[in-house]
Amino acid sequence: MPVPDIDFARLTLRDALDLAILIEEEAQERYLEFAHQMEIHHTPEAGGFFVFMAQKEARHGEELRARRKRLFEGQLSAVTRAMLWDVEAPDYDEARAFMTPRQAMQTALRAEEKAHGFFVAALPWIGDSEVKRLFEELRDEEVHHQDLVKQELAKLPPDPGVGPEDFVDEPVGH
Amino acid sequence: MSTTATPTPTVQPKEYRSELKPIWCPGCGDYGVLQAIYRALAALGRPPHEIAFVSGIGCSSRIPGYTTAYGFNSVHGRALPIAQGIKIANPDLLVLVAGGDGDGFSIGGGHLAHAVRRNLDLTYVVMDNQIYGLTKGQLSPTSPRGLKSVTSPFGSFEDPINPLLHMLGYGCRFVAQGTPADMAGLTAVIEEAIRYPGFAFVNVQSPCVTFGEPEQQLRAHKEGMQPLSALGHDQSDRLKAMALAQEYGRALHTGVFYRQADPPPTYEALLRERQRKLAAGAPPPEKILDLFVQRIEGRG
Repeated sequence: MPVPDIDFARLTLRDALDLAILIEEEAQERYLEFAHQMEIHHTPEAGGFFVFMAQKEARHGEELRARRKRLFEGQLSAVTRAMLWDVEAPDYDEARAFMTPRQAMQTALRAEEKAHGFFVAALPWIGDSEVKRLFEELRDEEVHHQDLVKQELAKLPPDPGVGPEDFVDEPVGH
Repeated sequence: MSTTATPTPTVQPKEYRSELKPIWCPGCGDYGVLQAIYRALAALGRPPHEIAFVSGIGCSSRIPGYTTAYGFNSVHGRALPIAQGIKIANPDLLVLVAGGDGDGFSIGGGHLAHAVRRNLDLTYVVMDNQIYGLTKGQLSPTSPRGLKSVTSPFGSFEDPINPLLHMLGYGCRFVAQGTPADMAGLTAVIEEAIRYPGFAFVNVQSPCVTFGEPEQQLRAHKEGMQPLSALGHDQSDRLKAMALAQEYGRALHTGVFYRQADPPPTYEALLRERQRKLAAGAPPPEKILDLFVQRIEGRG
């Protein structure tokens, strides 16, 4: 995955924590957006799963925020949202009308894999040992998140091989 | 990223997000455009009350309602005249104009040339999805030849308008193109367009997920887009920009096609200057009624 224009070699622990918080925030917001899209398009099961993912991202963000507060309380941030795009947030075109819970979970899984790829790609460029440890931890956390999603996928009944999209009428224009 | 400098953005992207939630189809390209606009505005640091956002009619024209800026979801095809009026009345406002390809190039097509030649400091973002999506998939002015739609069940006979060439031909001084498949690039061109001192046009290839063709979707954009910066394009070369713009529909070039380096004063700047000069030679306001009465009585 492309690494954004961040100078990882000069990243301090404070900035790395801020970056991680922003990544979680962005993912949380995107999942809530997807949940809303599903809700207004009458797909509550997929919407419910996206809410679950948003809550998970929020919890992780809170943990990171608490840590940041403990270590660097009162210090201004040197990172902004402009420095990252869709690191852990699923891409907008992942959402579809009539998504099944399975499709929603697969979307989340791809997003977690994408985030894992971000940390893996960034690690060789990091100079600071504390930042390196944090990024390794975040990388491993993404694997844990993938496992969580896989567990949810495993709870689903077997994939029938067809979804609601196979039964809807073609758009009138086609 | 510099870890020594401390950027202090005065406005966060979420401050531009209104309580009204978008109702576009899931997967619509306009979600990305909206995000890019939030971020571009945050990068500029202009608070929402200093911004007016005007649109016409269509899926993409709902966009002002999803921001906390002043918004006017106006009449089909009439976003540009309304935006010009707003800018003339209050030149201090940052005025954004948005709409779709049908709104801009068909119903409102006649306004484009005049908005360009007047050169008010407006940024016009067209979400070009090559179809009328809101009304369920009719041919739009940028639909490709051969497209099957409800109004062309056996394929369209019409050539599409080329938005980039169109605007360059009218003499537009800033012409760019982006796609939500490249959010950072899209944000950058929108921000640059807003910063440009004059009329600026950004064509966004924003796919219709419901009625759009597979090759128009973001996945195809991600695979096929060609940033102009990678081609070594000189933004100040209008003829080269026109040559590249001719590839619209065949290649997806992203970035700034043309940027006139020395733009003339904007319409509103000239207007203010004229008002200032005329006001300098005008009688004081308290004397105006007396002078008028003298004139109609034949004494002045």
